Amino acid sequence: MESNAAATGLALTASGLVKRFGGRRVVDGIDLQVPTGAVYGVLGPNGAGKTTTLRMLLGIIEPDAGHRCLLGHDAPRDASDRVGYLPEERGLYPGMKAREAIAFMGALRGLDWATGRKRAGVMMERAGLGDSIDTKIRKLSKGMAQFVQLLGSVVHEPEFLVLDEPFSGLDPVNQERLEGLVMAERDRGATILFSTHVMAHAERLCDRLAIIAGGKRRFEGTVAEARGTLPMRAHYVPHHPGDGIAALLPPDAQRDRQGDGWTFSVPEEGVEQTLSRLIAGGFGIAGLSIERPGLHDAFVRIVGKAAAEGTPA
Amino acid sequence: MSNLRRMLRQTLTIARRDFVATVLTPTFLIFLLAPMLFASFGALGSLGARAVGESGEDRERLYAIAAPADGARFLAADRLARGFLSQESLPPALEVVTPDPDPAAQARKLLAQQDRDVPAVLYGAPEQPHIVHGNAISRSSKYLAMLSEQVARDGRAGLAGPISQPRFERVARETSTIGGKNTAAGFAVIALFAVTLILASQAVGTMAEERSNKVIEVLAAAVPLEAVFLGKLLGMFGVAILFVLFWGTLIGNVGAFLPSSEAATLAGLAPAVGLPVFALLFAAYFAAAYLLLGAVFLGIGAQASTPREIQMLSLPLTLFQMGMFALSLTAAGKPHSWIATFAEVFPFSSPFAMAARAANRPELWPHLLAIGWQMLWVALTITVGARLFRRGVLQSAGPKFRWAALLGR
Repeated sequence: MESNAAATGLALTASGLVKRFGGRRVVDGIDLQVPTGAVYGVLGPNGAGKTTTLRMLLGIIEPDAGHRCLLGHDAPRDASDRVGYLPEERGLYPGMKAREAIAFMGALRGLDWATGRKRAGVMMERAGLGDSIDTKIRKLSKGMAQFVQLLGSVVHEPEFLVLDEPFSGLDPVNQERLEGLVMAERDRGATILFSTHVMAHAERLCDRLAIIAGGKRRFEGTVAEARGTLPMRAHYVPHHPGDGIAALLPPDAQRDRQGDGWTFSVPEEGVEQTLSRLIAGGFGIAGLSIERPGLHDAFVRIVGKAAAEGTPA
Repeated sequence: MSNLRRMLRQTLTIARRDFVATVLTPTFLIFLLAPMLFASFGALGSLGARAVGESGEDRERLYAIAAPADGARFLAADRLARGFLSQESLPPALEVVTPDPDPAAQARKLLAQQDRDVPAVLYGAPEQPHIVHGNAISRSSKYLAMLSEQVARDGRAGLAGPISQPRFERVARETSTIGGKNTAAGFAVIALFAVTLILASQAVGTMAEERSNKVIEVLAAAVPLEAVFLGKLLGMFGVAILFVLFWGTLIGNVGAFLPSSEAATLAGLAPAVGLPVFALLFAAYFAAAYLLLGAVFLGIGAQASTPREIQMLSLPLTLFQMGMFALSLTAAGKPHSWIATFAEVFPFSSPFAMAARAANRPELWPHLLAIGWQMLWVALTITVGARLFRRGVLQSAGPKFRWAALLGR
């Protein structure tokens, strides 16, 4: 059954997805809504259920409960020609030449071989891999082979691209190359869903993200909203260091001492009252900076909270 | 694009990849010429066995101690008898010797020769021959007795040997004989078995390749696993067709190089449905046998993830295939028996047994039913195999074989 995905503005919706393996709920009622044209990150620690979720979204495995709708199709396989996928476990036929491998992956998704070969050549040239077009996969370095597979997942110009831990195993040069490719795909109009546990990539690339831990979705929103789940942090350096500073900092704030300086969470009412107390106490202000916490901190807090609630993260 | 068309396209994409990956390798040439290697080793073995046999023949001798007139009759009867004995059942050469004053002692002396094996020696009058032999009564002893009987009859009739002068003429038959049909049936079963044994077993390891290089998830994401299975089967089937065409063409033209008598013998292998229809049915049953056994091999082989596991799985599968072969061969020899009916209906022996039936019986309608029945089983086997594979590989559970996977989703 095909519904009007364009009308909803969502390339993918999933609600209440459940998957059990051996009686254990690996995915436990996950909901996702991926807007068309967005770069959407699925973040989570190892074993959180990210790969299983992606596999269910693509129809590689069937959920035990829940509903999915991918590009307007309730059966994700019906949209398979419009989808690209880079699995976490990379795999190519070692005896195939790079160009053939890319064309083969395109052919699986409905692209004719001749067009696939032509595009593969152009894409490899563009990616700086022109010398390896007719090299067999077994002779490529791991990073190059991984990149070839990535090109294979986009050669048919998919509307929806799923990348499972795309940055793992890549050196910084190839990571940057991959980020460029992701942005190019977004500029082409593709919706991109990728999983990762490296926050820096998510922070740079994602329009929206979901954080999964223990098979459950713990957060859904923009990167800014994720960072906003934590209070801002103030870094204060006194003009006259002394022992009474701790007593003057906000009582419930997380406080860390770093040399003469202190870092503490900014309370809801702001830092003005705290600073007044510190000046009145004779400690003065040598330096003050206020920063929004990074995605890494938000992730650690959200996942840590899930673990504290008793759900294995 | 309809789902069926999409699945067909995906299946053919995988088939093409597998076909090219198999055929365009140097090892394929070895695979293609494997029967020649088998034949060469067989020929070498038979040459050796023949040489050993011939050297034994030179060392063996039968003796008939007889007066010159009877001696001539013995030799004539021996020539007559040897004419209808096959090479394998020929007794040792016969030598006639003139009797001494004590033929009994002479016979024992001949029997005790050091430089020759002498199974039996005959002496005395042809009506009351005395045959001495070293071991239990053998075919050689009885052969001498039979010759003696003939010599006695010839002696009474005053004949020196055979009096008829037969003229042999071979003419072509309008209809095939029951023996010819049976031979064609046996030939069909053996030929089908040989090609499926070589080719279907290739399927065991193909899914393990996907596992070891981790391509399976790329395939599974783009293509239903049923299409992966079917694609692999078709890819290997393409290899099989190439193999059969190569050897079919070669063997088909062997007749042109055979002596006319041998070629006429081959022509006597006339199947009941006629040669053109038989060729078509043979091709159909080859396809069915290959797809059916290939699907079983592929499904079970998909449970293996290492070459060692593949080896362990190959033995029971080959034994299973041998069982189907034995069943079908029995069915070919007894075309109207219950065992033939069973072999024709049992899905995994059906292609072999139905090929034999095509040689033995002229009705065509059972073949249409059988091909439909076999295709149904091919579909069923692929579906079950794909389900087992999905369970085994794409979930966090290990790739162990689980019967429960057959029943649940």
